[in-house]
Amino acid sequence: MTFRTRLLLIFTIAVVASVGIVEWVGSGTTRESFERAETQRVDALVAQFQKEFDRRKQGIVRAVDGIAGSDAMLDLALATDYAPNYDDARSLAAAHGLGLLELVAGDGSIISSAEWPARFGYKEDWLPGRENWRSLGAFLKREELPGGVTLALVSVATVAAGDRKLYIVGGQELDREFLSTLVLPAGMRALLYRNLTPRFSAPDLIDSSGPVPQTALLRPLVERVIADPRETARTVGRGADAETFHALPLTGYENNLLGVLLIGSSRRSLVELESSLRTTGIVVAAFGILMGLALAWWATARITRPVRRLAESARKVASGNWNTTVEIASEDEIGQLARSFNRMTHELVEQRERLVQTERVAAWRELARRLAHELKNPLFPLQITVENMQRARQSYPEQFDEVFREGSQTLLAELANLKQIIGRFSDFAKMPAPEMQPVDCNALVAETMKLFEPQLAAARIAARAELDPNLRRVAADAEQMTRVLRNLVLNAIDAMPQGGTLTLRTMALSPGVRLEVSDTGQGLTPEECDRLFTPYYTTKTHGTGLGLAIVQSVVSDHKGRISVESQPGKGATFRIDLGS
Amino acid sequence: MLLCICAAALAATRPHYGGTLRVEIQESIEGPDPPQLGPGIPDLFNAFTITRWESGRRAVFTADDNAAGGRPFLDSVDVEMGRPSRDQAIALDTGKADIVQIEPADVRRQPPGRKIWASSPVRLIALVFSGVEDPRIREALALAVDRAAIYRVLLQGQGEISGALLPQWLSGYAFLFPAGADLPKARALAAAAPPAARTLALSVENPVLRFLADRIVLNARDAGLAVSIVSSGAAVRLLQTRVISADPARALPAIASSLGLPEPPRAESPEALYGAERALLEGFRVIPLFHLPDVYAVSPRVKGGPGITPLGEWRFENLWIEGGRP
Repeated sequence: MTFRTRLLLIFTIAVVASVGIVEWVGSGTTRESFERAETQRVDALVAQFQKEFDRRKQGIVRAVDGIAGSDAMLDLALATDYAPNYDDARSLAAAHGLGLLELVAGDGSIISSAEWPARFGYKEDWLPGRENWRSLGAFLKREELPGGVTLALVSVATVAAGDRKLYIVGGQELDREFLSTLVLPAGMRALLYRNLTPRFSAPDLIDSSGPVPQTALLRPLVERVIADPRETARTVGRGADAETFHALPLTGYENNLLGVLLIGSSRRSLVELESSLRTTGIVVAAFGILMGLALAWWATARITRPVRRLAESARKVASGNWNTTVEIASEDEIGQLARSFNRMTHELVEQRERLVQTERVAAWRELARRLAHELKNPLFPLQITVENMQRARQSYPEQFDEVFREGSQTLLAELANLKQIIGRFSDFAKMPAPEMQPVDCNALVAETMKLFEPQLAAARIAARAELDPNLRRVAADAEQMTRVLRNLVLNAIDAMPQGGTLTLRTMALSPGVRLEVSDTGQGLTPEECDRLFTPYYTTKTHGTGLGLAIVQSVVSDHKGRISVESQPGKGATFRIDLGS
Repeated sequence: MLLCICAAALAATRPHYGGTLRVEIQESIEGPDPPQLGPGIPDLFNAFTITRWESGRRAVFTADDNAAGGRPFLDSVDVEMGRPSRDQAIALDTGKADIVQIEPADVRRQPPGRKIWASSPVRLIALVFSGVEDPRIREALALAVDRAAIYRVLLQGQGEISGALLPQWLSGYAFLFPAGADLPKARALAAAAPPAARTLALSVENPVLRFLADRIVLNARDAGLAVSIVSSGAAVRLLQTRVISADPARALPAIASSLGLPEPPRAESPEALYGAERALLEGFRVIPLFHLPDVYAVSPRVKGGPGITPLGEWRFENLWIEGGRP
């Protein structure tokens, strides 16, 4: 993963997390605010509804009191025969806007009933049992009607005439008509459960249009209020169809639970508002994330561009192009880094040049030292021979011929030695390019072993070849590789002056081949290993120090690799990998 | 002076010809032709000739100059049918009607001085069973009905409580038939019957009787019977029939026939008649409840009369209208 991708990923996560947190916190706060406002609204509406309910109660009380206050009721209280008045309640109820009205004698006998005229003479035993009906105001009561039992909101007024009494019981049936006449705020509806049976009865849950069709959702709320008659609120349904219901227990004059009034407030507007907010939030969040990603893309590109340039420049430096510089586009940390990079590469170039210069000087010095050393060895015998020849001619002319003959042989030998030295240097300078062709390395090793058999025998060195029969041919210059093997064998012979074992080994690599030349000589120190392939470096008292340099040069020309493994006193192994 | 006043008074009470008598009744008689038998409109054929017949709505009769008893004083009689009691009362109060039919219970509500014509109790109100086979249920219902309360309150003391088919004034033995309620016995009888039999439907074809039916339903409920009111076709019917003859020997078979009872044997003596009526009421196939009179409220403009007989027949030929024709 690139630095830019990583950075972009971090930016993306940061943007998404930030936007998500802001959206979550924002929408949560907003939802809470709306929920609070909705709760307040519903509470206000419920209070308004209760006021309306109380107003209806007061209206009933006023109507009943109005009837009780009439002279006709006083006359009726004093009457001895109620028969002519058996139908009075109907007209009185109609005149005072009451759905239910009963005129009841002091002994509880019904004189006239608007809701059930045929009930005259029947007893309302609950009436004489209480004195202060007026203090109750309007209250709930189970009312028996021709069609069955129902729930009514009634008020009782008493007309007293001497020792005679007349009760006026008037009210309204709590039915769908009553609910439909309630003035309800928009978005609200009133439901009534008439608790007339021991168990929940779905037909007794009504609204202004009749029995409520779907009672399953409301049943638990009703049953809860029946079990524990307290005002309770609960939200039923889901989504836009959800409603918050406030359940108000309705009790009768004996404090028995006769009904449950359910005031429903639709949550549609709130849900739609929340949905709108959610949609807006998602759109804003998506826009924010897209904007954030675009900005992150731009920012990462802007931030990583100089870094990428630095990385590119570092790659160039690593590949050897030390003159690489980075454009400095800013004064920030990246600019300082670029400036440091430029300074570093500049110093690297300078140091390399200084090092090259130093190495060149050192190489020249080493070359001069070697040349001086190599040339001094044959020059000194030349000088001595010439001086001996001069001294013999002056002091011993009779022996001059003999001395001249021996001297000239010595001079020729040393001159040949000088020529050989110069030839080696010349060979190193003129290393030819390898002519690659398939070469059987096992054959090369065998030829080299055979070539050095006499010399190895003279040096009391046992030669051993461990050749891999599965070795494949490899592209190489056979002559140069033979020269490599010879140099390594010669080095091994020099490393074992007391004799030892020389092992030449081949093995197949995948791909390529490996050649190993091992001796059991005195070995090399780590420092010697490090400098072994440096031109003109040698651990021997004789030699030009060019042998292993030539070996390394040839192997390098073959795109191969040479290494040495050695410990002092445990011999050394030169390892050449070709074609890998 | 006194002579002048007396002469004027005599002139005012003297019958004179002319004018139209406007009559309103609750009954709505349907048919292509006016009925020829029974009390009411058919009685007019004695002295009047029908000139207009609108089925169920209106009938107009004009005086028959060749009537057997001589030409009636009235020029014509205009009868409007199917008029609700309330509308009739308003029409009478506003002078748009001269004679209106009222229910017995409304007699006590009439304003003081209002002229009322009432027949003898000739209308029988009874429960008739046609599909209830369990006699315990029939007897339970007979014992459950509180006739006294209905008579006192709903009928305002008009008519008679009766357990007989013929009214007391006609037979003289009606009081022998029990008409009291016995709720405990009714409950026991109903409880002994299968539960399915305790549910009954009561049809009330005459809407005027509906207020009686409501009370009967309430009484039945007290006895453990579930009775629901329907308009027609039920196993129990609350209906009204009437006495059409002042001869009890002729009236009983007619009533039995109208109630779907078998024709009683010809009775030559009151004892035989009593036995025949008792036999008809055995098994509680019919539960007589009340005998009610025909009652009419009459405008002060209507002179002469009374215009109805004890059997409820119309006798308008001797009536005249104040200021009818100079």
